[in-house]
Amino acid sequence: MSWKNTTADFSFADKIIFLFSLLLVITSYFYFWQSTPATYAIIKSTQQATQKVDLKNSKTYRIQGALGISAIEVEKGKIRFVSSPCNNKFCIQHGWQEHHGDLTACLPNRISIQLASINKAAAYDAINF
Amino acid sequence: MMRSISNMQIKTNYQDRLVAGFAALAISIHLLESALPSPIPGIKPGFANLITLYVLIRYGWRLAINVSLLRVLAGSLLLGSFLSPTFLLSLAGAIASLTILGIAWHIPGKPVGAVGLAILAALAHMGAQIMTAYLLFIPHSALFTLLPLLLTVALISGTLGGILVSKIMKRTDALNTA
Repeated sequence: MSWKNTTADFSFADKIIFLFSLLLVITSYFYFWQSTPATYAIIKSTQQATQKVDLKNSKTYRIQGALGISAIEVEKGKIRFVSSPCNNKFCIQHGWQEHHGDLTACLPNRISIQLASINKAAAYDAINF
Repeated sequence: MMRSISNMQIKTNYQDRLVAGFAALAISIHLLESALPSPIPGIKPGFANLITLYVLIRYGWRLAINVSLLRVLAGSLLLGSFLSPTFLLSLAGAIASLTILGIAWHIPGKPVGAVGLAILAALAHMGAQIMTAYLLFIPHSALFTLLPLLLTVALISGTLGGILVSKIMKRTDALNTA
């Protein structure tokens, strides 16, 4: 079987269907893969009351966790763990978080940070670990 | 007089034998495909559906429905996935693609060729599967993050499959008119 004359396999309607489908596929990337920037973060700890943090205000928060104090930095709409008294430092390695629905946590220290946007419903009903 | 079961015969006609033959072919391809490793669950080339497309163009929609549903049913029995999530996804995909094929095929003047039909069927198949997965199994919007990738694969495999069927069609035209 040869792939020569493959254009002859496309009728006029086929070409239209192909182009429309291509358009649909491309739009689906924009529609489903867009990420909303987060406007606030919810910091939860087993040792402290839950805090709702505005990401507009650059500030470093010191949160008491199960092992000790974790430093959490907010800067220009982003948030990250700066230091934590855990062994593996996965939370610090995870780096900056800035999108609605993002989640980062320091499990040994029992602290989680959930990002959300005031323009969207919360991505999670509950977080448990 | 009672007839014994061994003497019972079901009368078959030419159409029945066509359905059986094409369904057997589709089931074989379905089984072979399920043995292929897949990078992401749900990504399959979908060659079994090309048989459906061939039957649709050659023998009409009703025969295509028979072949496709028989393929889903017998394929699941052979793989042991009958009534499992896989089976339900497969069935939803088959019903959706048969529906859109039926609509596109019956447009007066038959403007849509094998390629167009294959693309429509592949996209409908994928769309129905992800909706079924969402409604029945994973009711979380994160599932739709996969949709663009899956649609891309559907478009590519649909287009390639349609071109294949179109070429096979041209090659077998001589056989069928003879």
